[in-house]
Amino acid sequence: MTTEKAFWLWEFLGRLHPLAVHFPVSLLLLAAILELFTLKSFQSKFRPAINVLILTGAVSAIISAIFGWLLYQHGDYNGQILKIHQYLGFIMAGLSAAVLGMLYLIRTRGGLIGAYRIVLFTTAIGVSAAGHFGASLTHGDNFLSSTLPWDKDYEPVAARQFNLAAIKSDSAKLTKQQEMELNTDVRAIFAHNCYQCHGAEKMKGDLRLDGKHMAFKGGEDGAVILPGNASNSELYKRISLAQDDKHVMPGKGKKLSSTDIALIQFWINKGAPWPDDGKQVIFRVAKLEPRNPALPAATSNLSNPVDLWTNKYFAKNNIKWANPVNDHIYLKRIYLDIIGLVPAPSDFDRFANDTRANKRELWVRELLNRKDDYAMHWLSFWNDALRNDYTGTGYITGGRFNITNWLYQSLRNNKPYDQFVKELISPTEASKGFVAGIRWRGVVNASQKNEMQAAQNVSQVFLGLNLKCNSCHNSFISDWKLTDAYAFANVFADSTLEINRCDKPTGKYVDAGMLWKQLGTINSKASSAEKQRELAENLVQPADGRLYRTIVNRIWAQMMGRGIVEPVDVMDNAPWDQDLLDWMAFNFVANKADLKELIYQIATSRTYQLPSVAFKEVSFVSNPNYKFRGMLRKRMSAEQLTDAVSSVISPVFVENDMKYNPIDKALNKDNVKYPFVRASLVANNEFLTALGRPNRETVATSRDSQANLLQALELTNGERLTAVLKQGAQRWQGQYSDPNLLIKELYSRALGRLPSEKEFAVAKKSLGMSPNTDAIQDLFWAVVVSPEFQIIY
Amino acid sequence: MYWNRREFLKNTSTAALAAMAGGIPLTNLLTSCNKKNLHSTADTVILLWMAGGMAHTETFDPKRYTPFTKGMQANSVLSTFKPMPTVLDGINFSEGLQSIGNVLNKGTLIRSYMAADMGSILHSRHQYHWHTCYKPPQSVSAPHIGSWIAKELGPLNPVIPAFVDIGQRFTLGEGEELKAFHTAGFLGNEFGPFLVPDPSSGLESVQPPVGMTSARFEKRNELYHDLISNSPIGEFGSDYQKESLKRSMEQAYILLRSPEAKAFDLSLEPKHIYDVYNTGKFGLGCLMARRLAEQGARFISVTTEYEPFKNWDTHDNGYTRAIDMKKQIDGPVAQLIKDLERTGRLDRTLVILASEFSRDMMVEGRPDAKVPEQVIQPDVIQDIKNYGMHRHFTGAGSMLMFGGGIKKGSVYGKTADERPCKTIENPIVIDQVHQSIYHALGIAPDTNYVVEKRPFYTTPDGLGKPVMELFA
Repeated sequence: MTTEKAFWLWEFLGRLHPLAVHFPVSLLLLAAILELFTLKSFQSKFRPAINVLILTGAVSAIISAIFGWLLYQHGDYNGQILKIHQYLGFIMAGLSAAVLGMLYLIRTRGGLIGAYRIVLFTTAIGVSAAGHFGASLTHGDNFLSSTLPWDKDYEPVAARQFNLAAIKSDSAKLTKQQEMELNTDVRAIFAHNCYQCHGAEKMKGDLRLDGKHMAFKGGEDGAVILPGNASNSELYKRISLAQDDKHVMPGKGKKLSSTDIALIQFWINKGAPWPDDGKQVIFRVAKLEPRNPALPAATSNLSNPVDLWTNKYFAKNNIKWANPVNDHIYLKRIYLDIIGLVPAPSDFDRFANDTRANKRELWVRELLNRKDDYAMHWLSFWNDALRNDYTGTGYITGGRFNITNWLYQSLRNNKPYDQFVKELISPTEASKGFVAGIRWRGVVNASQKNEMQAAQNVSQVFLGLNLKCNSCHNSFISDWKLTDAYAFANVFADSTLEINRCDKPTGKYVDAGMLWKQLGTINSKASSAEKQRELAENLVQPADGRLYRTIVNRIWAQMMGRGIVEPVDVMDNAPWDQDLLDWMAFNFVANKADLKELIYQIATSRTYQLPSVAFKEVSFVSNPNYKFRGMLRKRMSAEQLTDAVSSVISPVFVENDMKYNPIDKALNKDNVKYPFVRASLVANNEFLTALGRPNRETVATSRDSQANLLQALELTNGERLTAVLKQGAQRWQGQYSDPNLLIKELYSRALGRLPSEKEFAVAKKSLGMSPNTDAIQDLFWAVVVSPEFQIIY
Repeated sequence: MYWNRREFLKNTSTAALAAMAGGIPLTNLLTSCNKKNLHSTADTVILLWMAGGMAHTETFDPKRYTPFTKGMQANSVLSTFKPMPTVLDGINFSEGLQSIGNVLNKGTLIRSYMAADMGSILHSRHQYHWHTCYKPPQSVSAPHIGSWIAKELGPLNPVIPAFVDIGQRFTLGEGEELKAFHTAGFLGNEFGPFLVPDPSSGLESVQPPVGMTSARFEKRNELYHDLISNSPIGEFGSDYQKESLKRSMEQAYILLRSPEAKAFDLSLEPKHIYDVYNTGKFGLGCLMARRLAEQGARFISVTTEYEPFKNWDTHDNGYTRAIDMKKQIDGPVAQLIKDLERTGRLDRTLVILASEFSRDMMVEGRPDAKVPEQVIQPDVIQDIKNYGMHRHFTGAGSMLMFGGGIKKGSVYGKTADERPCKTIENPIVIDQVHQSIYHALGIAPDTNYVVEKRPFYTTPDGLGKPVMELFA
C-alpha cells in the first residue's frame, strides 16, 4: 500500500472509523424504529426525536465514511468484502443525507412522506449491512457463523490425534505418545497453512517450518519459537493477531482457527516437543495393514455383511433404511453394472414372473456367469485405468503395446486380482503394455521417463497413491520424497536412474526399493525383470492392505456412483466408513481376490438396492462430510449408451469396426453369436469421445459425467447416431405395420415398460396412421436422448 | 457415475461463488484459479496454423536467392525465391506473399521464434508443445490453448462454441498424435474444440441432420419435449444428471436454429469476397474464421492441415510445393486482415500465423546439435526435387501477429544472413508466445487449476512472460 509515512492525524482519524461507525448504525436504526410508530400520524410525539436522530445519524454517517476512507488509505485492506463494505458505506452516507434533505422538504413544503420513509428504512437496513461487512473485515467473515453448529467449518479438522481438552491441566506431564501426537498435529497445521511461504519452495523472511532444525533456527529476525514461552514467541504472536492486522500470519488466506491457535500455544508452552524419532506423519496417511473388524451381528432382516456395516453406519448417523427399489429398477441396474447392457423386454417379464424368494441373488449370479458380456463391459473400465487402447499415440513408432487379449481373457476367466496385478507388474509379452508405457521419440522430461511412468501408474492404479509430484521434487501434499519415487522407478529400470530434480540432474542415485519398506525388499542389483517380479510378489501379499482397499473402493465406486474413499486415486483420504472398507478388503482377500464375488456381494446387498440418491450439485459428491444414503444416480457411460442404442434400435458398429474380436480367440464352445459389436471393442471415435470415452494417453480412473454442448450436438445432428436411427427406422417400418405395436415395442425395449396413456397419445400423434421412416426415426431420437433412457435410476 | 478431477475443481469454484454471495473472501478457499479482471487488448484469437514446418527463409524472412540450375551446390542455397518488398521499408518477403506484405503495416513480423529442443525434431511433439505450452508426454492431459481460453473467457456469444478448430482431419497419418493435443485435457470436454474438418461442409455440423427440413427438426424437438414432460420419471424429481442433459440438449437446439449458425454458411458471402478466400480448404477456413469471429467465437484455429509429407511438411520438392502453399495462404490471410479492419474488429481480434518449427536445406535441428533421421540431401543438386528446404530447423522461425493490441508495422527479432540463418536477436519461445496471447486477452499469468493436488498453470509453473515489445 502506501510506502511513505503519511500525516499522523489522518491515520489517527482513520483508526477512529470502527468507533465512529457505531453512531450512524444505532442512530439511524433507532430513527427507523421510531418512524414505525408514526405510520398512523406523521406528526406524532416521536417526531422531534426522530428529527434529531436523523440529523445526528446523517452527520455521523458522513464522518464515518470519511474516516473509513482514511483507514483504507493507511490500512492493509483489500478483497471482495472490503469493496462491498466501502460502496455500501458511501451509498449509505449519501442516502442518510438524502433522508435529512427530504425531512427538511417535508417540513417546508409538505408531501414526500412515503418516499422519505422508504429511503429511511432502506438506509437503516443499509447501514446495518455495511456494519456487518465491516465487522467481517475486523473479526473475520465467519466470526458469527462459525459458532453455529451447522456451519461446515464448525467441525474441527478431522483426524486430529491429540486431544487438547482431555489434558486436565497445563501442568500435566505429557507422555511420549502424547508429545508425538501433539507435534504431529502442530506440524499438520504448519503444512496446511504455512509451508506455502515457509517451506522448501519459498522461504519468506528466511523462515522454514518444514523441518525441526529449521523451524527452531527461525527466520531473519531470529527464533520464532521460544519453547515454554508462547506469549513471547514471534510465531504465536503473529498467528494470534487480529484478522485485519497487517502482521497477522498466515499473511494470505484464512486466519487460523482458535483451536489451532490454542493447540500451537499449548505446544510451545509445553516446551515445543518435536521428537526426532517420531514418524513424520503430517498429512493424513491411510494405514497399510489389512484390518478385519468384527462384523456386527446379523439382524432379523439383514444378513449380507455389507448391509450389517451399512446398518451400523445408518444407526450412528441417524439414517433410516429406505425400501429397496422395485424389480424393474433393480434389473436395469444389475444388467448395466455387471454386463453393461439394458435388459430385453423378455428379461423384464421373466424377472417379474420369477417367484423365487432369492431371485435377485440368482439373477446376479446368472449375469456374472455371462463371461463374455461381463468381460466386454468391464474391459472399458480397465482400458481406461491401464491406458490400453487400440489406437493412439505411440503405436505408429512401435513405442506402445496393446494388452487387450490378455486383459479380455483375464476378465473373462475372472483371474484372481492378485494374479491379475502380478501379471501386469511382472508381465509376459501379452501384458507388458501397462508398465512399458508409451515411449515417445526424442528426449522426454526426466519425470516422464518410461520407468517413472511405470512407477506413477502402478502406484496410482493399484495403490491409489499420487507419485507425480514427488517424481519431480519432494511432495508438498504428502510426505513422499523425490528419492522415494526414484527408488520405486528403479524397480523398472535396467540401470539405476540419475535423480533429476525438476528436470535438472543432481548426480545422485538411489537403490531400487519399495514405497513401503515393511512390504519387503528389492534386490537392486538384479535385472529389471527380476526386480519387477519381486515387486509384484511384495505388492500382492495380503499384508498390503492398501492394494486391496484400493480395488474394493474402485469397484464400489463403479457400482455405487461414489467411492467409500473419494477421489478413488487418493486412498489416503478418509473413508466415510473405515470398517466397511477394511472389512470388504479383508474379506476380498479371504475370497481369493475374486472380483466377481466382490461384485456379487455388493449387488445382492440391500445397500445396493436402496433408491438412488439424486443431487443437484457435484459439491454434494465431493463434500468431505459426505453421508452415504444409497448409490448416486448415474448416467450411462459412452459404451453403455452406445450398446443400448445398438440393442434397442439398430447396431451402431459393424464387424469391420471391431479392433479386437474375442469370439475368435475365446473358447467359444457354445458357439455364441453376438447380435451387435460392443462399443468396448472398437477404436475411439467422435461419438464415443463426445460421450466421455477418454483418450487413453494417461491413466483415467473416472470419467466426465456431465453433459455438455459438444456432446449434445453429437446426439442432435451427429452423423453416426443419425445414420443408425435411420437404418433402424427402415427396419422397424418393415417389421411393424401397426404404429400402436411399434410404439409399445419401442417403449418396452428402450425403457422396459409400456408407454403411459399420455405418452402413447403423443407418440401416436407424431407417427400418424401409417408412419414413414422419418417419423419413426424422430420418435427413436426423442426416446434415445431422453433422461429416462440415459440415466440409471 | 464417474467423478473426475474437473468436477472437483468445478466444485471448488462453485463453492467460491457461493462463498462470494455469503461474503467470505475468496482467498479463504482453496482457490483453484485466480480470476482477476485484467486489462485486455483483445477479445478473440484467430490462429492461422502452418502445419508441418514452414521454412522462414522461403516465406517471411528471405535470404540470398539462388535460382535453380543443374549441378548447383546445395550449400549455396539459402532461399529458392526472390525477395519482394513489403509495405514496410527495407523489409522483404519471399516471392508469392505480396498480398500479406501489403498488410504488414497492420501487424508485427516476428523473425526469431525458437522451437524447443526435444532431441529428435518431431512434428507431433513440437505441435503438441506449441498448442499446449507443455512438452509431451505429460502425466496429466494438458489442455490446448484454445481450451484454456474457452475455459477462462467462455464464448462471446453463448450459442457459438468458444473454441472452433477448422481444417484438420484426424484420419490421416499421425492422427492419433494430433488428437493428443486437440483436447481440453483435464479442463473437461466442455471446453474441447468444436471440430470442422472441412470448412466447405462446415455448415452441416451446425444445422439439423443432413436431409432434415427445419420443419421436421422443430417437430422432432417438440416431440422430445412432449415425451419428457409426460414421462413418469418426473416422480424421481430433478437431479444433476437430468438437468445437465436437458440443458445441453436445449443449448444444441438453440445453436442449430440460431441465426448465428449462419456463420458456418460460406455460401452467404458475396461472390467477389468468397473468390478471394477460395484458394482451397485453408482459404475457406479463413473465411469461416472471420464469420465466426463476427458471431462471437473466442478462439478459432485454421490449419493448412498436417499430413505427413504433405503441405508444409516438405521433405522433397520444397521449392515447387512452397509455391502452392503460398498460393493457398497469401490472398486469404491478407483479405482476412483487411476484412477485420474494415469492420473495425481487428482492434480486438488477435490474428497469429505460426508453425511448429522452420526448415533448412542443410541443417537438421539446431545448428550445433546433430540429429538422427535426416532427409537425404545431395551436396550437388541435379534434380529440382532436391531444391528446397527439406530438413527440420528449430534455430529460427517466422510468425505474424495482427490486431488485438499488437504494434502496427513492426518487426521483432533478427536472423543471420548466412547459413544456418539462425536467430541472432530477441529470441522468443513458446512460453512467451502463450503468455503474450493471455496478456492480450487479460488472462492472469498465474491462472491455474489444481489437478491431482498440483497446480497446473497456463504456462509451465506460471512463469511465462509476455513480450511487451510486441504490444503497441
